[in-house]
Amino acid sequence: MTIDIPFIWVAFKEIIRALPITLILTIIPLLVGFLIGIVVALVRVYKVKMFYRVANGYVSFFRGTPIIMHIMLIYFGFPLFIDQLSAKFDLGIQSNSIPIILFVLTALSLAAGAYLSEIIRSGIISVSTGQMEAAYSVGMNKFQAMIRIILPQALAQSIPNFTNITIGFLHTSSIAFLVSQKELTGAANIVASTNLKFLEAFIAAGFIYWGLTILVEGLSFLLERKATAYNRGGVS
Amino acid sequence: MGKAFDPMLIIEFIPTLIHYLGVTLQILVVSILLGLIIGIAAAIPRLFKIPILNQLVILYVSFIRGTPILIQLFLVFYGLPAVLMFVNIDISRMEAIYFVIVTYAISNGAGFAEIFRGAIRAVDLGQTEAAYSVGMTSSQNFFRIVLPQAIRIAFPNMANSVIGSLKDTSLAFTIGVMDMMGRGDTLIASTAHALEVYISLSVIYYVIVILLEKLFRLSEKHFNRHLTVDVALAG
Repeated sequence: MTIDIPFIWVAFKEIIRALPITLILTIIPLLVGFLIGIVVALVRVYKVKMFYRVANGYVSFFRGTPIIMHIMLIYFGFPLFIDQLSAKFDLGIQSNSIPIILFVLTALSLAAGAYLSEIIRSGIISVSTGQMEAAYSVGMNKFQAMIRIILPQALAQSIPNFTNITIGFLHTSSIAFLVSQKELTGAANIVASTNLKFLEAFIAAGFIYWGLTILVEGLSFLLERKATAYNRGGVS
Repeated sequence: MGKAFDPMLIIEFIPTLIHYLGVTLQILVVSILLGLIIGIAAAIPRLFKIPILNQLVILYVSFIRGTPILIQLFLVFYGLPAVLMFVNIDISRMEAIYFVIVTYAISNGAGFAEIFRGAIRAVDLGQTEAAYSVGMTSSQNFFRIVLPQAIRIAFPNMANSVIGSLKDTSLAFTIGVMDMMGRGDTLIASTAHALEVYISLSVIYYVIVILLEKLFRLSEKHFNRHLTVDVALAG
């Protein structure tokens, strides 16, 4: 077995066509997860009765099990659930008419929600209580103080963590290939097995992921500089 | 799939799957130990800014951080035999588990290198100055003063890494390793009860992660026991 270097470029051009699906599988779970994360973080910070325990259990379970489990549980569990509901209420929905990518997106969104809620929570906790007191002292209510004072600072401070999660979920989207999604890894696998050039195809895929990661890191560096401009230190 | 959901099977599958927990833990422990060695070796050029080696380590860490573990797994699985072919070593018949251990060791090594570097940088320079001022040599300073404090700083990150690594081992089955996930796959093939198998597997992973977290929290308390004295004195 020798390495066919020109084929890496051929594979690269073929695999990169699957980039949109990888981006969908990365960005949508992060956006949905962000909304889940904020709600769950607030529930946990304020120890909202009843929901608090549910939120704790949710975060603990999703952070305590591999993401492939979440994908598989939803991929195999939801159709069963939907078909039973459909049979009971005569809805006429068939689970096999639902595209698999929706199951993957659901699983990844739930996982992202759990991870992001921890980041947002630690961000909120790290904003000093003096900020809250100052907001109250100028007559803001709790909601205004949260939205205008605490959350912006908490989120700005959390940018490095968000970057890590974004990169993490970019890489996690590769698991979707195990449920036959044609994202980057899935495409690489197809190119590899149709040409019987496994190493070359995965080298190409590796370069694409690497490039994307460096891009995300660069963007986050710029964003962080902008978002924490208020907190540059020194004299003003 | 296709068969009715049977909750009893979840309990029934757990003992069968736990039987293969040993393989999962073996991958985890060996790859972490090897990762520690790689991590220390990789952190040294970064800390002392050894030319060329420093850049190589930066490239290595960036690549590992920049690619999914699944891709790394495939690269090692298909790449290592090809590379070793050049020096006339044939490992194409080697068991899949070794490829997994190599991949996870390389992957952990990069993570550990960054953790060590960060931890050693995080120790106050005043500590080193103080050590020199009482006449310690630079290696005495490193081993007696800096390293113990760095380990304490690194520990929570290491613990997270280990737990992350345990969860990553769930992908080893993709190259045909018979660990818990691999056994789960064969159970699905023979019983067609996929959901029950994955619930059992989730329960097992969840319990192990919780146990590991408890263990790490206790050890962290142990590492930080001198700090409670400070707090007591301070106030």
